[in-house]
Amino acid sequence: MSSNGVVNRNGVAVDDTFAEAFPMKATRLLITAHTVEWARHAAAAATGFATSVIGCGCEAGIEGELPEERTPDGRPGLAVLLFAMSGKELAKQIERRVGQCVLTCPTTAVFSGIDVRPSSTDDGGRPPEGAPPGLGRPGAGQGEAVALGKNLRFFGDGWQISKVIGGVRYWRVPVMDGEFVAQETTAVVKGVGGGNLLLLARDTDSALAVASAAVAAMKRLPNVIMPFPGGVVRSGSKVGSKYASLSASTNDAFCPGLHGLVDSELTADTRCVLEIVIDGLSEADVSAAMRAGLQAGIEFGAARGLLRISAGNYGGKLGPFHFHLHKLLPGTST
Amino acid sequence: MSGWTLRLRQLPALRLDLRGVLPSTLGTLAAPEVERIGIGHGNRLLPLAEWFNVSARSDDSLVFEGDLTRCDRVGWQMDGGRLIVDGAAGDYTGACMTGGEITVWGDAGALAACEMAGGTLTIEGHVGEFAASTLPGSIDGMRGGSLVVRGHAGARLGDRMRRGTVVVFGDVGDFVASRLVAGTIAIGGRPGAHGGYAMRRGSVVFAGSAPAPQPTFVPAIADAPVFWQLLARDLARHGGPFSSLPARRIDRHLGDLAADGKGEWIVVR
Repeated sequence: MSSNGVVNRNGVAVDDTFAEAFPMKATRLLITAHTVEWARHAAAAATGFATSVIGCGCEAGIEGELPEERTPDGRPGLAVLLFAMSGKELAKQIERRVGQCVLTCPTTAVFSGIDVRPSSTDDGGRPPEGAPPGLGRPGAGQGEAVALGKNLRFFGDGWQISKVIGGVRYWRVPVMDGEFVAQETTAVVKGVGGGNLLLLARDTDSALAVASAAVAAMKRLPNVIMPFPGGVVRSGSKVGSKYASLSASTNDAFCPGLHGLVDSELTADTRCVLEIVIDGLSEADVSAAMRAGLQAGIEFGAARGLLRISAGNYGGKLGPFHFHLHKLLPGTST
Repeated sequence: MSGWTLRLRQLPALRLDLRGVLPSTLGTLAAPEVERIGIGHGNRLLPLAEWFNVSARSDDSLVFEGDLTRCDRVGWQMDGGRLIVDGAAGDYTGACMTGGEITVWGDAGALAACEMAGGTLTIEGHVGEFAASTLPGSIDGMRGGSLVVRGHAGARLGDRMRRGTVVVFGDVGDFVASRLVAGTIAIGGRPGAHGGYAMRRGSVVFAGSAPAPQPTFVPAIADAPVFWQLLARDLARHGGPFSSLPARRIDRHLGDLAADGKGEWIVVR
């Protein structure tokens, strides 16, 4: 059904609007450890406090777990993705986060999850030889190398050892549980940040349930992260503020508490709105994640409390990537 | 680019110096030009056609045929392409090469891959002394690329080697990895005496016979499972005695304490 540009699926109204995303710089790191629990500790710490570039310097998250047969050293591990607004800022974040959260974590090692070799042939976008299968595309072409273990090696106080294996340089840094092994560099590639879905629900319970279902569906896909806690953000923002020092402020049009007080986007029966923000290695990856989230929301349905799905944009002025919800609906092709 | 087959007609009276006879050089030449290339014979430069029959190939490889044991500097400073010696080669084979691929189907003489900086040199037979080492008088030996020897290697393998990988399927002579600066040497057979003499850094993997540790080496008490898996998986692709390395456990010895002491022997159980 369609009226006034709104498509209705399973009772859920899908707005005729689009999510607006912008270019970012990204990298993937593979963190391995003696057990997956310790790899998870390191990955969680390294991707902590990384919800938004506005205040955290980068956006980061765990892309997925990797079994032993898919890691460079045959141990269990996780793939994490980090996104920043510039390659320089991303390099700084990588060094800080790996230095403080991975080097410090017992038994861990860290590797680049994206090929750092220059792309001279038509294999741009292909994972590196020997890379764990299923990691998907590293982004548009192969990336520029930035330091991973290159500077952290100095923690070894002169006892660090360089080793080139298969054309890749690693650093072995002696630490109290043995040695910390880190690939010298990782690659920075172009990414896409800011894909989003707004889930407008009847109440808190239904909003949390549908958001969790949508995040779970998106997490099954490679090359994307949802950087906010649990993948979900409740403090959606608009550009600007009445306070000159703030660049962003609450998205009052979607705040149920301001219904009737401002030019609200909400109806009286919409009492809770949650947003899912998606960062991906390419436009296609973000698009696929948004499609999966839409599908999950529609399957959840109006009967269980999801009333409407919308998306955040700034009139097309913020970024060049526009993800139109109607084009992402199940049964349509992009 | 066009390839050439150079068939040696007879063993030369003096040694031939084949520097400059490279795939990238010959690939752009016509047959008469190839035949006129000067090669060293004693203290004279003679046309290549004095010694070799020249014929074009359908691929872009440079192939030497015949017994080249008296032909030195095959692939000297080679920077790309593919060179095949369908027989034995003389001294300095692949020396100072920076890229490309050389395959010698027979034995190679002394100083093969010395000061090699890139590419791959594969010797299907045995190799003589001082492979992957320095040119006489130089400070650093092999500094990149891969040397693979399917047979045995002579003494002083990897002397002063700084970077790169050497894989020997068979036995190695005395003083393997002497004065090693860095890099990796993997041995599938039996090592000679005095291995690792004055080695500063680098790794020597004994995948076959386990030598007695030198007194200037100390046993390592810490495991290095991550590094070992990275190295073992890379060596395993060579097959033979190295194929099972990722599944095997190791003991390590650190030294030579008489030098820098940051090197390691990896003895595979």
